[in-house]
Amino acid sequence: MTTQRDQTGTGNAGTEAGRVRQVRLAWAPSAHAQRLVTLALAGLIIAVVTRRPEFAGVAAPAVLLLAARRGGPPGQVGVGVRTSAARLTEGQDAELDVMVTGPGEHSVDLIMHPRHAVVPAAGGARPASARDGGRAGGQRGGQPGADGESSLPFQVTRSGRRNLGVLGITLRDRLRLTEGQARIELPAVDCYPRPAAQRSRVVLSRLPSRLGEHPSRSAGEGLEFTGVREFVPGDRQRRINWPATTRLGRLQLNTFAAERTQNVVLIADASSEVGEPGSTPSDLALRGCAAAAGAYLAVRDRVGLVVYQHGVRWIPPGAGSRHYYRIMDLMVANRGVGGPLARARGIARLPRAALPPGALILVFTPLLDRGLVETLRDLRERGFPVLIVDVLNAEPTGSSDSLGGLARRIWRMEQEAIRFSLRELGIPLVRWDGEQSLDEPLAPYTRRVMVSHR
Amino acid sequence: MTTARQDRSARPAPSARPARTAAAAGLLAAACVAWAAVPVPGPGIAGDVLLAAAAACAVLGTARLALGPEPGESRTFLDPLARAAQAGADLIRAVPWAEGLLVAVLVLEALHRARPPWHTGLLGAALIAYLFAVHLAESRAAAAVLRPQVPLIAAGLGLLVLAVGAAALPAATGSTADLMAVLAAVAAVVVGGLALPIGTVRR
Repeated sequence: MTTQRDQTGTGNAGTEAGRVRQVRLAWAPSAHAQRLVTLALAGLIIAVVTRRPEFAGVAAPAVLLLAARRGGPPGQVGVGVRTSAARLTEGQDAELDVMVTGPGEHSVDLIMHPRHAVVPAAGGARPASARDGGRAGGQRGGQPGADGESSLPFQVTRSGRRNLGVLGITLRDRLRLTEGQARIELPAVDCYPRPAAQRSRVVLSRLPSRLGEHPSRSAGEGLEFTGVREFVPGDRQRRINWPATTRLGRLQLNTFAAERTQNVVLIADASSEVGEPGSTPSDLALRGCAAAAGAYLAVRDRVGLVVYQHGVRWIPPGAGSRHYYRIMDLMVANRGVGGPLARARGIARLPRAALPPGALILVFTPLLDRGLVETLRDLRERGFPVLIVDVLNAEPTGSSDSLGGLARRIWRMEQEAIRFSLRELGIPLVRWDGEQSLDEPLAPYTRRVMVSHR
Repeated sequence: MTTARQDRSARPAPSARPARTAAAAGLLAAACVAWAAVPVPGPGIAGDVLLAAAAACAVLGTARLALGPEPGESRTFLDPLARAAQAGADLIRAVPWAEGLLVAVLVLEALHRARPPWHTGLLGAALIAYLFAVHLAESRAAAAVLRPQVPLIAAGLGLLVLAVGAAALPAATGSTADLMAVLAAVAAVVVGGLALPIGTVRR
């Protein structure tokens, strides 16, 4: 049996939506039937042994129910699965739409066994379930083989490409005496990091010669008034400042700031999975980058991304809302395998397209990777304006004895030393806990332009 | 092709109803044990053992319903205490406590030879109710799913009343007559179960 479904706007979920696959069922007597058999046998045996007819009467309802059992259950059913949204964001409510075709008069029971970072929205730790979806279809349609569609709500709590888990399908006959069971693997979904709140932006004092929305220091055709100068032949007459001209007796002209765009390269250090799952530095770095990408792309800046994880993945600066989704896709791309060596090699070989000259480099990092710290120093020495957002929110745990305490103190001092050396190189460093808005730690650098000097 | 979508507003809260049904099953189990056991029969050890077994089955069966199905989460990184708790829960889920309760309660009832037949009849009705409560709690389904079984249950309860009535009639003297009466009741039940068309008509 094939079923055509509306696939509009379902993205990768739509690839699963149109396909109804046949699933073989394993049929067996239900636990309810086994209990009825026990009651019937016990009642009849005790009646014979004790010669008391009332015990045979105790067995009567169970015997009647068991005798009414009918055979002929379907050997297989068609199952179509799709998610309600193609792109999910961390914590976003979504639904898994499951359609079961051909259950006949049998009721359908669906249970979702979620995998890591997938939480059934309705049941908490308990598997989410939808009852009797197929049964309802059978009743309304009034014909065997009518379809049932059910929705299982869920949330994905961490970004990345996540397998939703396994779906358990149970078919029960009218008297609930036999059960057919099957399990199918659910599709994987891409979950984007939840962007943090950010409304303000860090703007450099020197901007490349591209039309944009940031007022620059040079005069141009923008909207922001910068001053008055004497008219020279060739200037536009509509910009003559008549009050100043009258006062000084010579033609005076209003001047305006040129509006430029800036290149922003975000570096997300997702190499450190320490602390509580869901609020690790890796999670915070990705959420911060998502927020910054949205904030800069909203004012038509060009934004690029370098993900520093098992290896190094990057996308050159670009503009527009489609580029935002390219950036998000890069964040959730398959993380692959690699190590410190692959990371160091990858970050050292970034081409000019990934790091255009004069670009603002915003780094979200816990500064736990020495290779990245050296790279940041190198970038600053090459003249890039670098701003670090420190997302470290965990400390080493361990024994609370004096040796453990001493080790923690040494670790803290090392971290302080790393941060001090970066500040000494002229790299601003702000701390972000992942809870507050990014505007707060970045406030000292968003109120005025950030001087980008070599 | 007909497609049915569930009315989400009509969907019951996923945990409230199973908890209530499990509580009802626990109460019915306790009532059945008390009904069959009181007064505790004789000085022999069999009655005490059966009573203990029935009580244990009632408690652990209710615990099994309260635990629900296996959550399916990974246990790789659990600490030993949590892992032991999970193993205990698995054991409770694995054993068919309800079947044990049925047998223990019926044998307890049979140990009381002097009881009137209506006493056993009421116990049978309570056991049937207990079985359906267990099934509803276990499958987390609404009571409406039992609608197709109502005619069969009614017919079965009718047969139970007939059997109790037959047992209450003054019996002819002699063990052969007793045996014949029992066999007649058993045959009536089996034939009734096989022959009665009530509820088996395909809808």
